[in-house]
Amino acid sequence: MRENKAQTKKRIINIIRKEWKCIFSNLNSALFVTSLPLIITAQALILIYLTMKFAGAEVLVKTLLGKGMENWLTMFPELESLSLIDRFQVFFFALFPFYLLLIPIMIAVSFATFSIVEEKQERTLEPLLATPVRTWELLFGKALAGAIPSLLITWFCSGLFIAGIVWIGSSHLLGFVLNAQWFISLFLLVPLFSFLAFMLGVISSSKANDPKTAQNIAIIAVLPILAILGVQLTGFIVFTTTMLLVLAFVLGILNFFVLHIAVRLFQRESIVVRWR
Amino acid sequence: MSMMIETFNLTKKFDNLTAVEDLCIQVNKGEILGFLGPNGAGKTTSIRMLAGIIAPTKGYAIVSGIRPDKEAERLHEVIGLLTETPGFYERLTARENMLYFARFYDIEADSKVDENLQKMGLWERRNDKVGTFSKGMKQRLALARCLVHEPEVLFLDEPTAGLDPESAKEVRELIMKLKEEGRTIFLSTHNLEEAELLCDRIAVFRTRLMVVDTPQNLRNRLFQRKVIVELEEVNEKIINAVKSLDFVLDVSKDGRHLIIELRYFDKNRPELVRSIVESRGKIRSVFEKKHSLEEIYLTLIKEEEEMKHERK
Repeated sequence: MRENKAQTKKRIINIIRKEWKCIFSNLNSALFVTSLPLIITAQALILIYLTMKFAGAEVLVKTLLGKGMENWLTMFPELESLSLIDRFQVFFFALFPFYLLLIPIMIAVSFATFSIVEEKQERTLEPLLATPVRTWELLFGKALAGAIPSLLITWFCSGLFIAGIVWIGSSHLLGFVLNAQWFISLFLLVPLFSFLAFMLGVISSSKANDPKTAQNIAIIAVLPILAILGVQLTGFIVFTTTMLLVLAFVLGILNFFVLHIAVRLFQRESIVVRWR
Repeated sequence: MSMMIETFNLTKKFDNLTAVEDLCIQVNKGEILGFLGPNGAGKTTSIRMLAGIIAPTKGYAIVSGIRPDKEAERLHEVIGLLTETPGFYERLTARENMLYFARFYDIEADSKVDENLQKMGLWERRNDKVGTFSKGMKQRLALARCLVHEPEVLFLDEPTAGLDPESAKEVRELIMKLKEEGRTIFLSTHNLEEAELLCDRIAVFRTRLMVVDTPQNLRNRLFQRKVIVELEEVNEKIINAVKSLDFVLDVSKDGRHLIIELRYFDKNRPELVRSIVESRGKIRSVFEKKHSLEEIYLTLIKEEEEMKHERK
């Protein structure tokens, strides 16, 4: 049993290493993985800065975001001591971990969708399926291979974002931003969402016959993840610490089932026979 | 002699199409079985079932004591599969490609990879990207890949297809070496020369198994043995003398050759020679007419087609 576990671990690490070699041996892929998160982070900072500087809090109050802010205040009354402009800044900064989900989602759509299709195109899938690797090991390894770097880079970007908050002169708000919700979102929800996004990408890749179709399927599958950001912005639901922990628990179970579904959907026979 | 591959009415259907029907075949340990058939005969489907990649619709197989449809992962520890168009990760080097596949097995991956790269003559190119390899080199690398875990049974699907003559020869030599090492090889091909050169037995297959035997037995089974007598000059007197012999069943002339069908090939030959010499025929040589595997194959395929027509 222990030997089996060690063998499984060895195989998954093997898949991850190979996937990384393939990604980083391609300059375009490497540039995409590194530059996209930086652009997303910079864009968030610039947008918040410009909104505060040129639109102003009074304008924001009259928008849908004003309603979101109202609901936000009922959950976090300590923010009432802040000026309107600072409240909005905290509101935006606090939502950043959800906005950061764009990084794993976009990387997943770009890479995970290729993972199985590429094996089909390069005719490596059949020799691979003739090795003792199990389907779940293959899919899990491929999903992790994408999720791990995108997660690391997401965390790195959150560090940059905090530096950005200081740089735009809002360091006095950090105490309100870096609370339990921020850390749960960043270190529990983002990894779980990332894995989910990559798993959905791998599923679409195993069902599609070309990268374009795989990407289309993946976009439809992963976009609802972004709804969580929208729900927060409108203030329709404001996540408390308990709610975030429950969400993380549900996501953990969902990930397990999605992996199970991915294995069921990965029909070796039709993939090998129907692929020409 | 122990059996390494055995199939029992192995059948595969894809919707309404029967790709393989009631395949019953045995392959002994250390034997090379040539699996001959035209394109679309179901050779690759048969190999995929035997290698545990796809499941049969009916029947079953036992490979190295394991049922491929029940324990594919355990089977994959002891078999090697060379697919018809073996693919590689073109951006990775030969060694990286090999290591990736080797690490799925419970072996000392690094040393086994290096050993096999050397064996296949790819050591000097081990750090080059596979994308820069010729087709022949890729085929050798594919062989190295399927040998890395020292499998007992090898399934080779068209190993020389699309290779230039020199590369094909190299691959054939490697297969011969594998036979010398005592491996059991299931070789699918439609290259008849290759089958004759490499295989102990030949199975002719077209959806169903038509025949399986050694090339020599197939010849004897399908064709009457004939003797060819090469003369300095063939004339009517000699032909008539040969025809008058009661054990001669048929005579035909081909230039300076007489092609003669005898009742008893070994027993009647000396008397035939004596009769030609007595008719003042000057004999240059006497030898047996060899039927090529191609003739055997084409005869079998033609027979099968005629039977198919009759059944319709």
